[in-house]
Amino acid sequence: MKAISYLIAMNVKNAILDTIRHPLRLILYLIIIFGMAYGAVMGFTAGDTDAGEFIRGITAESHGRLLNGAYLAVLFFISIPVMLKGLSSGTSFFSLSDVHNLFVAPVSTRLILMYGIGRQLATMLILLITFAAYGGMLINTFNLAPWETLLLIVGIGLMLILVQLTTLIIFSLASCHPKRAAVMKYIIYATAFGAIGIVVGNLFIGGITLENTFRSISLPVLEYIPIAGWMHGFIFGILEQNSLKMLIYGLLMILMIFGSIIALYNFNTDFFEDVLSGAEDYHEFRENIRSGKVSEAAMFGDGKKLKKGKLGINRGYGASTIFFKHLREGARRSKIMFFNINTVVLMLIVLVIGLGMRIAMSEVNPTIIYLAVSIIGAYVQFFFSAASDWVKELTKPYIYLIPDNPVKKLVMAAATGLIKPFTDGIVSFLILAIFIRGEIPDIITAALMYGSFGSIYIAANVLAQRLVGIDSTGGVFITFYMSLIVLTLLPGVILGVVCLSEFAVVFGNIATTLFDFPIFSWNMLVSAIIFLSCRNLLNNTE
Amino acid sequence: MINVSHLTKKYNRYKANDNLTFTVSDGETAVLAGPNGAGKSTAIKCISGLLRFEGEIEICGYNNKSIEAKRILGYVPEIPAPFELLTVWEHMEFIARAYRLNDWQERAEMLMKRFELADKRDKLGKELSKGMQQKISICCALLINPKAVLFDEPLVGLDPHAIKELKHMLGEMKAEGTTIIISTHMLESVEDIWDKVFIMMNGRIEAERTRKQVEETGENLGELFFRITEKNGEESE
Repeated sequence: MKAISYLIAMNVKNAILDTIRHPLRLILYLIIIFGMAYGAVMGFTAGDTDAGEFIRGITAESHGRLLNGAYLAVLFFISIPVMLKGLSSGTSFFSLSDVHNLFVAPVSTRLILMYGIGRQLATMLILLITFAAYGGMLINTFNLAPWETLLLIVGIGLMLILVQLTTLIIFSLASCHPKRAAVMKYIIYATAFGAIGIVVGNLFIGGITLENTFRSISLPVLEYIPIAGWMHGFIFGILEQNSLKMLIYGLLMILMIFGSIIALYNFNTDFFEDVLSGAEDYHEFRENIRSGKVSEAAMFGDGKKLKKGKLGINRGYGASTIFFKHLREGARRSKIMFFNINTVVLMLIVLVIGLGMRIAMSEVNPTIIYLAVSIIGAYVQFFFSAASDWVKELTKPYIYLIPDNPVKKLVMAAATGLIKPFTDGIVSFLILAIFIRGEIPDIITAALMYGSFGSIYIAANVLAQRLVGIDSTGGVFITFYMSLIVLTLLPGVILGVVCLSEFAVVFGNIATTLFDFPIFSWNMLVSAIIFLSCRNLLNNTE
Repeated sequence: MINVSHLTKKYNRYKANDNLTFTVSDGETAVLAGPNGAGKSTAIKCISGLLRFEGEIEICGYNNKSIEAKRILGYVPEIPAPFELLTVWEHMEFIARAYRLNDWQERAEMLMKRFELADKRDKLGKELSKGMQQKISICCALLINPKAVLFDEPLVGLDPHAIKELKHMLGEMKAEGTTIIISTHMLESVEDIWDKVFIMMNGRIEAERTRKQVEETGENLGELFFRITEKNGEESE
């Protein structure tokens, strides 16, 4: 125990000292904490939001069901990917330094396991504090008491621990047994699709109305599903003051936690091998995130056997070779050029929100739907831009060494990242148009604005790299990058708002065009200026 | 020829390279030797144009940041960085196209054969071991038939055959007049190929010897290395 308590004490002490010795980091942490606290307080005290107004406009029964369904969806959305990922690579209970130093030390494996679980609890605590920033919004929107909000957040944290424990057991049972792993994967998929099937089935039987949508996503049967469902049952048992429900699901989870720990204690004390690959993957992923690199392995599944397809780059000369290389790499990631998981996610977001608005507000003009969906889509795209080909190219020395014009190299390295959002936007908004119709200029400008956000995100990334340095790491870069995005976008958004307010009376049926087109134009102009002004970025890696 | 003049590289107030000046002539193999943290890799990265620096660096008379210099400079990084989704052969094709090489295929085949990559030509970068990835880095750097080439700890991670082959190649390049700089902290690994050695410590060149000098005086290079690095180590303690 001495070794582990020493390790914990030293880690805590050194983390504090390290933060104090790096004033910039300290300031950044303080800004983040202040921002979260501010967000939480604003949420508590803010007046009626549009979402809040909408939610209060529906019946009390539907109101509860919406909260029920949304919470269940969050639990599923978090737990299923973690379990699927964990099945192939274990969990992140331990860091690579734990594996290399602690696992080989003469310390009881059980103590090490408890240490790992303790570490995970601490990580979850930090995550919960982050979630707390959204607590205010929850209180305001759903008219919840602070303790109820806190309970919902704690529920997510507890569920994550349960998921990690379960994943560790599943991984222990399935590692080195491909058939078992496949069976478990099918069970997880079947559970997820089963839940979706129940919701969709109920939706079709009862009709696609707002009330029935809420009823479908909050069916009690969904609570029978282990972990996410049980946690939902437990938390809503407390909220609804339903002691029996709370007791049953609480007991089920306690049994599961103890059962898992006992299983790990007795059946598989030699869990080191099971967590080794997981720890290695997690270490690599963290290092890549820290250094601003996101490796192909981390993004596209390390062990996955890729089909090479056509061999050879076959085109390009000088700087343009980088673009054609990206096309070849893209073809290996996805059978359809520029089509990947981001395209699917965007299509789903566009369709779900677009059709959701159509169902909820049947009288609304389609232009309002396009307007809302294009704004949300543009925001979501930020999260897709982290792993663009451009970012990955900067992590290799070749782009700096290639003897060609730096502007050409810059544009060619960013080209696929610039084109892809436009193709994603066109595909997604065209599909939405099939369902909700609307004006052609709206459809085109919604897609164009979405695409132009890709240009702005890359341009802001280029500018941030130019100003704070390519080798800058972690939080400083991200904060700076995000500030630049806001600064570069703001004039375009103001322009859009002005155009919308000035011309909406005459051209009210194409409000999306009025708002989106000025933003698209501004984004493209600013992106071009940034690219030109940062032409010397590739002179060195700093 | 590589001409380094008053090279200083600072990270805030810390000087990773402190006023380095040296020349490596055509057909000469120079070794930057020194313990970990002496500033060897930083100097190599400055010469290759990857880092900003104070001072001047010329590659065959061209400023090291110019396109002309890049065209004739090969660089083998310490940590191999292949493209995970390109095959071995496609790495060769990428370099050939990016550097606008003509009739490169035969040389690429030769390099891959010598470094035992021929049977791996359709393997993806991510499917290769670290040693194999290092071999790709070497082949990419040598494919352009460089007039000057920089190796940052090139022998680390290579198997004995590849080490032997690389040393042979270095000999051939030297005979063709290529300027070679190798950074290493293991002097014995390069004892049969060097013409000039710079022993670095705390970012500075503490000693410079030519093979001729050492042979004439009978000075033991290993002893000199330890005398400099351990003395400085004690001083800093």
